[in-house]
Amino acid sequence: MVPANSRSRRPDDDLGRVRLGLAIGAGRLAAKASRLAGRGSGASIRGQVMLRIDPQAFGKLLRHRRIAAVSGTNGKTTTTHLLTAAVRASLSDGNRVVTNADGANLYHGIASALGEHPDADIAILETDERVVRELIRQGRPELLVLLNFSRDQLDRHHEIKALGRSWRDALVEAGTEGPVVVANSCDPLVVWAARAAHRTVWVDTGDSWTQDAALCPECGSVLVHAPATPASRARWHCPACDLSQPTPDYVVHGDDVTDRSGTVHHLALQVPGRFNRANAACALAAAVEFGGGAADALRGMRDVKSPAGRYATAHFGSTSARLLLAKNPAGWAESLPLAASDPVVLAIDSAAADGRDVSWLWDVDYEQLAGRHVVCTGPRAQDLAVRLTYAGVEHSVEPDLSTALTDRSATLDCIATYTPFQRLRRLGGLA
Amino acid sequence: MSPVRIVLIYQSLLGIYGDRGNAMVLAKRLEWRGIDHELIVVEPGEPVPPDAGVYLLGGGEDMAQISAVRALTSDTNLFRGMDAGAVLFAVCAGYQICGQTFTVGDHDEVIDGLGLLDVTTRRGPQRAVGEILTRWTRPDGSVSLITGFENHGGFTTLGADAAPLAQVEVGIGNSGDGTEGAVQGRAIGTYPHGPVLARNPDLADHVLSLALGRDLEPLDLPEVDRLRADRIAHVRAGRRRVGA
Ligand SMILES: [Zn+2]
Repeated sequence: MVPANSRSRRPDDDLGRVRLGLAIGAGRLAAKASRLAGRGSGASIRGQVMLRIDPQAFGKLLRHRRIAAVSGTNGKTTTTHLLTAAVRASLSDGNRVVTNADGANLYHGIASALGEHPDADIAILETDERVVRELIRQGRPELLVLLNFSRDQLDRHHEIKALGRSWRDALVEAGTEGPVVVANSCDPLVVWAARAAHRTVWVDTGDSWTQDAALCPECGSVLVHAPATPASRARWHCPACDLSQPTPDYVVHGDDVTDRSGTVHHLALQVPGRFNRANAACALAAAVEFGGGAADALRGMRDVKSPAGRYATAHFGSTSARLLLAKNPAGWAESLPLAASDPVVLAIDSAAADGRDVSWLWDVDYEQLAGRHVVCTGPRAQDLAVRLTYAGVEHSVEPDLSTALTDRSATLDCIATYTPFQRLRRLGGLA
Repeated sequence: MSPVRIVLIYQSLLGIYGDRGNAMVLAKRLEWRGIDHELIVVEPGEPVPPDAGVYLLGGGEDMAQISAVRALTSDTNLFRGMDAGAVLFAVCAGYQICGQTFTVGDHDEVIDGLGLLDVTTRRGPQRAVGEILTRWTRPDGSVSLITGFENHGGFTTLGADAAPLAQVEVGIGNSGDGTEGAVQGRAIGTYPHGPVLARNPDLADHVLSLALGRDLEPLDLPEVDRLRADRIAHVRAGRRRVGA
């Protein structure tokens, strides 16, 4: 692979650098103005201004760095935090690593983070599914972690397979100069895309979500999913073509990850849930591929507690609420078992970032909450109330987020879709 | 009397928009009335029961539509069930495959449908995405509003044997011609998700009445009334952004 920084210097490079410098300066001013106006960190506006002044900034800022990118529908932010911590733990100077830790994962979010750390020679980037193709083209990442694919915001993304195809095309196009891919072998669409890479490290995460993997992405046949039994792990294969679950290099079982040499790594994370153990196994595999040691990686990952506010405890009057984010049915399937409080608060919205169609509420198994009380909140609380009526779950409706949480009981779990999650972080003093 | 069979067909193929909720709603409304019933979920490869009271089809992607048509055509039990007097309630992609033909893919390949509804579907000038509100004239002549969320790229034209289910007040519906959905005999096709039967209890009970052959007393569900009032007010306030 040709390192990015060995590219020959062109005569227009100096001019390009000046323009990038102007863009970074203007972005900084815009971010400062936004902060002074009390409108958040300004990270997003910084990136927008930068890309307006220098449309090439995204590519320029990616050059001269070692890059690892993380993408997938669910778990990107947490996995990026885990991988960043894993890589930093293997370095004497953690400042060598830049990351978009706030979860701003589109072009301007990535440009914003990179522009603030021009000297960091390693970039670990959470990357929106739609940006992966351009990141591969312009950034030539060494490593790409592909976590999973499921339906999300169907009012905007009508065919999830189109995203998988864009990853696949970019990997084919990059050939041997493309990234090594660390990929979840339980997800057929991920496998279909990732097997186009020149080298792939497969992680058997034990993911059981198959609702979005009915058809073979290669040939359109109905995939065969063999569920897990006490004696064997869940497996899938296509009955009509050669697409099947690859032999894993890493296998997650409970709180342990076994690598291809048979070594067992104990995770002992602070972030909760089976899903995050799967994320951590992918981050561990990626950190090792990136050149670090497994022991350092595990040590680093164990310090990650609340990536971008997830799982953090917010305070509303006398109530302490642990905030969980769930953006789609697959995310809810992972989050619901973690929310053990009674009452439990569920916050639903249908802003653009949440998906404007809330029909997905009927693809989530809320029946499992029977016997507890649910407080329905957020602008679409009433849709949840109807869903819970049919699920036979006792509930009350309080659309206002503050009122729903304030002075309710000592400690609560609260699961929210994206927009109310961000609002609750601010209302609860976390952001 | 044997239990009413509600058969949800190919959830894994035609279930990405929560349309399984239509089956859950029908089953629960029977349960609340103490009417004996069974909810059966059939996946491709499994036989469709030929003796259902209601068959349900939901929304899905292009490849899933082709797969579902192929499986249902070779299974044939859906056709037998319809001949025996079952009710079919099909939503979005499920509605399209019940027609004569529909198109898939970037090159608009024309695919033969199941022919249970005299409708044809072709790619529309823009995708219809957003809250929709329609006026449905019930068998007794009264009008009931139908609220839901439509999300479809195909535009549907009705042939002589099919009648529109409802008239559009806000949204696109079949093709922007003012009609929404189709009815032909005991087959009903419609675009809205929501799921549509969760948001529209009159329509849910209409489907059940057809299957049972008798009228049903309405259920008192204030949660559903509040949701309907919310959504109808919202969509009438003009917050619908077409194609956004
Ligand atoms: Zn295949």
